[in-house]
Parts: sequence; structure tokens; C-alpha cells
Amino acid sequence: MASNAEDQQNQQGGHKEVGHKSLLQSDALYQYILETSVYPREAESMKELRELTAKHPWNVMTTSADEGQFLNMLLKLVNAKNTMEIGVYTGYSLLATALALPDDGKILAMDINRENYELGLPVIQKAGVAHKIDFREGPALPVLDLLIQDEKNHGSFDFIFVDADKDNYLNYHKRLVELVKVGGVIGYDNTLWNGSVVAPPDAPLRKYVRYYRDFVLELNKALAADPRIEICMLPVGDGVTICRRIK
Amino acid sequence: MAANREGQEENKDRYYKTLHGNKTLLQSEKLYEYILETSVYPREPQCLKEIRELTDKHPWSAMMTAPDEAQFLSMLLKLINAKNTMEIGVFTGYSLLATALAIPDDGKILALDITKEHYEKGLPIIQKAGVAHKIDFREGPALPLLDQLIQDEKYHGTFDFVFVDADKNNYINYHKRLIELVKVGGVIGYDNTLWGGSVVAQPDADLDELILGWRDSVQELNKALAVDPRIEICQLSIADGVTLCRRIG
Repeated sequence: MASNAEDQQNQQGGHKEVGHKSLLQSDALYQYILETSVYPREAESMKELRELTAKHPWNVMTTSADEGQFLNMLLKLVNAKNTMEIGVYTGYSLLATALALPDDGKILAMDINRENYELGLPVIQKAGVAHKIDFREGPALPVLDLLIQDEKNHGSFDFIFVDADKDNYLNYHKRLVELVKVGGVIGYDNTLWNGSVVAPPDAPLRKYVRYYRDFVLELNKALAADPRIEICMLPVGDGVTICRRIK
Repeated sequence: MAANREGQEENKDRYYKTLHGNKTLLQSEKLYEYILETSVYPREPQCLKEIRELTDKHPWSAMMTAPDEAQFLSMLLKLINAKNTMEIGVFTGYSLLATALAIPDDGKILALDITKEHYEKGLPIIQKAGVAHKIDFREGPALPLLDQLIQDEKYHGTFDFVFVDADKNNYINYHKRLIELVKVGGVIGYDNTLWGGSVVAQPDADLDELILGWRDSVQELNKALAVDPRIEICQLSIADGVTLCRRIG
């Protein structure tokens, strides 16, 4: 059908606007999930942060509401307490995490840009969970290398969420697989990259999509072959690969 | 729907070919295949592959739990350290085997299906995998058995995980019982909650009778789960849609 083909082209061109970013067969189906199961359950603070973020020019970067709900549930199911997040933006997934952890839970949160985090921080503070967050501004690799140097940090994280520069995911992974505990979880976001992982060579992709696509493809192959983890590639949001460390 | 058994079988055949004519709810089959080829099949245990290949030959093969969904269930079970589980709707036992492989050696699965005909086809493979001892299979409708369990207080809150993949018009009835049987903090998973995407089809859409017949049940279930204060929910768009419900009260 004409409109479907057009939609597909648009979809593969660049990520769709916030609130409509999904890999599903139709936006209608995605809205159904949001309206039926996500929005009625969304914490007030998450709604506030989502609406605030929607006004930001880079809002397409934000974690979607259904993914936030999934992360929140996953964290509770694994009784996570000590977590890490690489890539914060305005803090939607950070807030989802902070709300899920117990009162003495901790999140080491890293982003190269503090400004966006500070946009969302008042909402996180109002929700009464800011005390769980240790925010570090700057690139993540140096911080990870520092952590790695100290043996006592090895296997100390229950859950790590990576939603940042795709060309560094594999570099992060080398360190994170030591830092997460055996039985713990690392989640890599955007692993289906707007569906572009299967786009034909001549597809009209936005520059940034095309540039990072190779890195995403490499990451997916590497994770699938990594014997230290079990994996599960979920089509939530832009695709999130859940990795459970087994050794 | 036709009243006689023959008519019902015919309808079922048509349904399973049409509803699941679309193998995925994702934007393209190619994308779905990418997930399967990259992350699922290379990791799929041989015994699961065997049940899948056996089931593919069955006219109702579309009823089988999707391999990506089974992989997810397996991971979920390990993450929550599930030991005592239940499955309503077994068919040839693909998700049952995935479950049995994921739980510890002394784990248990109470598995219910109205017929053991298809289960018996998969059972030799489950036995060969060395995990059949974890399974307690009961043939027959699930409701009477659930009612029996409910009557005895000692079963309340004893299940870590329950997976429901059966007659959609009874999900809400199962839920009334399962919410007492699953432990606080435990998980109930309801399969097919996006029902081939028909939950958003136009009211007058030309859908198969069987799909239409259960679509209302699915929509009602989704609404009911969303407002149930005893659970937190997450409706995942994996396979045909699976809604995870974590009991909180």
C-alpha cells in the first residue's frame, strides 16, 4: 500500500518523532500499547519529565515511555540495587531506574552533557529520588577504566543501561562485562537502529543513521557470539538487547 | 462458528494460517528474521530446535510460542530465579521445554492443556533433554484445576511464574485465580495480548471469525489488567504481544 511504503521510507530515513518511535507494523498499534498499558500507569514524575523533554530539540533521543516501563519492571524483578547508566540526556530512563530501586539503591550516571541532565533534575528531585544518583559529566570510558583498575569494583553492579554513542558500545562492553556481577544484566539500547539493520544498501538513510549502523551491526554480532553472556534482543523502543552475565 | 467438530477444525486451520500469516507485528518480516538469525537461532538449544522443526509440520504450527519469545521467557525465568511455575496451554511443548531448561534441577512446572495429543509428540524430545522430571502434566480444562488449587490455602502465593497461552476468552477467568496463586513479587505472563494487531483494526475490518471472536476478549483483558491495582504491568511487543504482570498486593 502506498502509505505504508512511504511510512517505511520515512521510518528508515530517520527516527520518528517522540511518542511515535517504534518498530511496530503501525503507529496505531504502538499508540494502543501506550494508551492501554503505559500512560495510565506512568508515574506523575515520569509524565512530567516526558512532557518537558518533548519540547527539547533533541527529544528523539529520549527513552520511550514503554521502554521506561519495561526497565522499571525489570529492575524490580531482579531486585537491582547498584546500577549504572551511560547516556542520560534529560533523565527519563534514569528516573524510571531511580523509582524502581530501593531507598538505599545507587545509580552511577554518566553523560558528556550535564546541561540536559539539569533540565530534568528538578523533576527527579521533586520525586524524592535524586539522592540515589551520582552524576558524572564527561566521557564514560575513562571512568570505566578507573573502575576496572580496582578489583573491588569487579562484579559490583546489578544492572547497567547503555544508551549512548553507538561507536563506543563495544569498548564499553569490554569493561562492563567485568563490572556487572555474574547473573547481572547489561542492557544496550538502539540495537535495531530504527530498523536500518536490514535496510538495503541503496535505502535513503539519514547520515547519522547510516554512520552508526555499521557499529550497531558489529555490536549485535559480537554480543551474539560472546560466551560470557546470554542475550535477548527485544523490539521494545528502538531495540534493546538484554545481556545476562553467566561467567 | 460451525457447531460440529469438523467445522471447528476447519476454522482453526484458517485462523492459524491467516492471523499468523503475518509472522510478526514488527515493521517488516526482514527485521524479524534479522533478530532470529542474529540473536535467537545461534543460541537455540538443539532440543528446542527439534521441537520447533517437528511442530512446523503441524497444520496449527502458528500456535507455537515464537522462538524469540521463548528465549525471552528463558532469560526472565533465570533473572527471577523461578523454581515453581505453571503453564496453561502447552501444545507441543516448545515454551514448556524452554521453561524446563531454565529452572533448576529441582524446579517444577504444572502444565495444563485440554489435550495431551500434541504434548505427547514433544515429550520424547523433552525426555531426551533430561528435564521431563520437572513437568507435572494435567490433561483437561484449566479452570476446574485452578479452582481446586484455590480452595487449599497452602497453594496461595506459591508460584514464582505462570505463563498463560490458551483460550483467550478465559484469560480473565484464569486471572481471577492466578492472582492468588502467584506469589507477591511473582510474574504472570499473558500471551497474544496484541492479537495479530487486530486490537486496533477497524470495527468493520474483514477479519476471520475466530480472530474477531477472541478480539473482544483480548481487548477486555488488556483493559482489566491495566486497572488491576494488585499488579504492575508491562505489555511487550514481542511475538504476538505478551503482557507481564508482577503481583504487588
